[in-house]
Amino acid sequence: MFSYGRLSAFALGGVLLFAQSALAETRSYAVSWFTQAMNSQAGDCPDGVNLPWKEHRLKILRDYGFTGEQIEAMVQEELAGKGRSPIQAFIVMRGRMNGQPVSPYTYPATVIDPKLHYVKGAKTSYGFNLDGQEGPASFIDPDTGEKGVDNELSRALGCMREFRGSKATPPLYWEWTWGQLKSNQPAWLITIEGDDLGSDGDVTVTFDRALEHLRHNIDGSPRKDVTYRIDPDPRSHNVYAGRIEDGLVTLTAPGTAGINLLQDPLVAVMFRMTKVNMRLGMMSDDSLDVMVGGYQPWSDLYFSFAGGGAANESASTGDMPGIYYLFRRHADADPDPATGQNASISATYYMRAIPAFTAAPNLKRPTLAAR
Amino acid sequence: MFHRSLRSRFAAGGALVLIIVGGSAALVPQKPEAAALVPAAHAPGPATVRRLSADQYRNIIHDVFGRSLDLGGYFEPDLRISGLLAVGSGKVGITPAGMEQYDAMARSIAGQVADEDHRAQMIPCAPKSADAADDACAGAFLARVGRLLYRRPLSEDQLEAYVDAAAIAARTTGDFYQGIEFSLAAMLSSPQFLFREARTVPARGSVHVLDAYAKASQLSFFLWNSGPDLLLLEAAAKGVLDRPRGLSREVDRMMESPRLEAGLRAFFTDNFGFDKITSLTKDAAIFPEFSAQVAEDAQEQTLRTILDVVLTRNADYREIFTTKKTFLTQQLGSIYRVPAISDAPNGAPDTWQEYEFAADDPRAGILTHISFTALHSPAGRGSPTLRGKALREIMMCQPVPPPPGDVPFNIINDTSNPLYRTARKRLAAHAANPVCAGCHKITDPIGLALETFDGQGKFRTTENRETLDTSGTLDGVAYQDAAGLARAVRDNPATTTCIVNRLSAYALGRATAPGEKAWVAHLQKAFADGGYRATTLMRAIAVSREFYTVSPPALEQSASAPASTGETR
Repeated sequence: MFSYGRLSAFALGGVLLFAQSALAETRSYAVSWFTQAMNSQAGDCPDGVNLPWKEHRLKILRDYGFTGEQIEAMVQEELAGKGRSPIQAFIVMRGRMNGQPVSPYTYPATVIDPKLHYVKGAKTSYGFNLDGQEGPASFIDPDTGEKGVDNELSRALGCMREFRGSKATPPLYWEWTWGQLKSNQPAWLITIEGDDLGSDGDVTVTFDRALEHLRHNIDGSPRKDVTYRIDPDPRSHNVYAGRIEDGLVTLTAPGTAGINLLQDPLVAVMFRMTKVNMRLGMMSDDSLDVMVGGYQPWSDLYFSFAGGGAANESASTGDMPGIYYLFRRHADADPDPATGQNASISATYYMRAIPAFTAAPNLKRPTLAAR
Repeated sequence: MFHRSLRSRFAAGGALVLIIVGGSAALVPQKPEAAALVPAAHAPGPATVRRLSADQYRNIIHDVFGRSLDLGGYFEPDLRISGLLAVGSGKVGITPAGMEQYDAMARSIAGQVADEDHRAQMIPCAPKSADAADDACAGAFLARVGRLLYRRPLSEDQLEAYVDAAAIAARTTGDFYQGIEFSLAAMLSSPQFLFREARTVPARGSVHVLDAYAKASQLSFFLWNSGPDLLLLEAAAKGVLDRPRGLSREVDRMMESPRLEAGLRAFFTDNFGFDKITSLTKDAAIFPEFSAQVAEDAQEQTLRTILDVVLTRNADYREIFTTKKTFLTQQLGSIYRVPAISDAPNGAPDTWQEYEFAADDPRAGILTHISFTALHSPAGRGSPTLRGKALREIMMCQPVPPPPGDVPFNIINDTSNPLYRTARKRLAAHAANPVCAGCHKITDPIGLALETFDGQGKFRTTENRETLDTSGTLDGVAYQDAAGLARAVRDNPATTTCIVNRLSAYALGRATAPGEKAWVAHLQKAFADGGYRATTLMRAIAVSREFYTVSPPALEQSASAPASTGETR
């Protein structure tokens, strides 16, 4: 069976398209943009935004006890361009285990905590009140005005240059990451089904992974109206009960389910969160605007950064072990029974999705009788 | 006749090759053919000597040597005359630069045939010594492939010249296979291979007919777009093609072959001008969905659709204008906004699937395909004029004069002018100029029916927020939209007349002569009586004696009739 939907589609043929039952209407989308939801504002880092990597690494050297003269000599040697940079050589093995240098990315706890700055001055951040509480540190969602918003991930990373941004100007790291993900992994699909998606009522929201990669136009923009087959792998199948009002879909039982989507293992094996809440806006250009919040195991995120090692640290994330310490400090869910260390951090992700057709995975070149 | 015209069009390498093959004694007209009696009223056009098309060249090489060879190289540009490259192929020669390319391809192909990977498979004998000449083995190979490449047996002189050349090369290089390579390359560069000869023999009634091997070529290039196979050459050798029943039997065999698809593809590719689709580009800022792959798929979509009608279902040809059935790739599906699966691995080319547009879908027939709407549009917008012109000229054989050189197109090109939001309004303003009005009356009303398809062929209902009016008339038949236009084209008598004229011209390699009207009328009737099936029309052409009948050679005509105006190329 095929699913498809878009507001303007009705103008094409005047019929409901690919309804799963005589009354139902289904609209399918392919995720065309995925980023951590950030709402960086002037003044939200009163201690200052963390230094650019080129300067920050010199601070690391100072933290490790190098003198000014030694650092200057290393800088000059690096500038001379003969052989490997002595600064880089130290940075990439700055972890210490039993007195021996080890990878700081694999063993971040062996690195001196650089005590990176984090967001202290912001009142707003995208997301949802996941724990039902309105603490003094919780945020207000700038779109919905919802109070008690839990988005500690934005607090933790909000003073890293590479993670500062907004919906309109996404963080550098996530722009880079999505560039990798969209090219190297099958597309993520969203399907909304209801009796009449043009009217208020109950709906079912489904997240799946496709068998095909996201397709693009020649200018690099995501291609609309492509047909994707749904991957039958249950690990990427997520179903939520929701309600649509004025084109905005919200969940009727938020916090009762998680989200799991297989992704490119080179970034992370799985994008997963628990106690999920979301809102999905059907836009006038037929696209879908999605906010998904929940608790994410921070180790997933950390090791998705750390997998890129020194290259990631210098080009797209900034101080990797520093992030590890930020995550540990700001994690706000799933405490370890023995240590009390929280294993998950509240997070919100922003997605955009474009109209698509979806098909059952077992369809092989069918003869189709209808659009 | 043949000899003179061929040499004059073979600019560079021909002379050398002709020396190698030992002259052209085989080109002298032979004895009259008793069986080739044609009606006295039939006054055929001249024989044509046609340069092989790129596809014909490839097909012959693949047929003779298999598909494992890499051809490489570039082919000479084609020339479209009377709407067909097939007609133009009778007017083109080979430039010195083109000859270099043919020579390079010939050397490459010959090198691959004789290399260690292929020689055991392609050369049917082993030489006594790989280091020395072996006339017997070389002769066996060169006679076998020469018959297929020349589409007739090599004359003794030709074969001897090739064998001698191979022997000299083998002795010089100390390598039998280099000798083979040399002679095969010479054969592939020769005019007898690169051009389709039209050797004729006098027949009764002051006409000539193609000789048996030229008949075989005429038939195989028409039905298969390639040279004759061994069975057809054998039939030619035995005189089977000179007898109506024998010819009919061979035609039936060829039409039952899967290779008929190649022949049909070649004709429709030529007739619909798909040679231009390979260089079709769109403004990426306006149509980012359109790519070279979409263009290639669009051509294939239309060819598959046509073949489904005329070959797979052997249905009424006119159905190609109204059929809802088609074939899609994932990329095409996204432009047509319909579901189309590709079950190929990610990164691999899309796979094809059948699709049928819904009854109320605005798309019906090939005029609504991307291969028509996008091909006949400029890079940044649609064009009712170009589409209307193409429909008139390609589908109905009604030539539209080119615009005068000093016509201002500024109103038409300015799609953002708030005074003229739609193409209909822009064209009306443009046609207010009486110099323009005449031609636009011929083209625009039918082109405007396709305005619901933008410059890349995507459906729309408005332009600049104004609802599109797609109503119009075609030769007095009113319609409201593209589907209505498609029905009007299907039912227009010019549509069937046109395809008969085009297919017969394609088969002959020239426009039909005034003295061939009775034959064309016969074909029209056979086409109609056969339910407008393209295969019926092809068969009617292929089995008719007129298909193989030509006017006497120019020299002969001028000797007997000084006032003759026959073509003397």
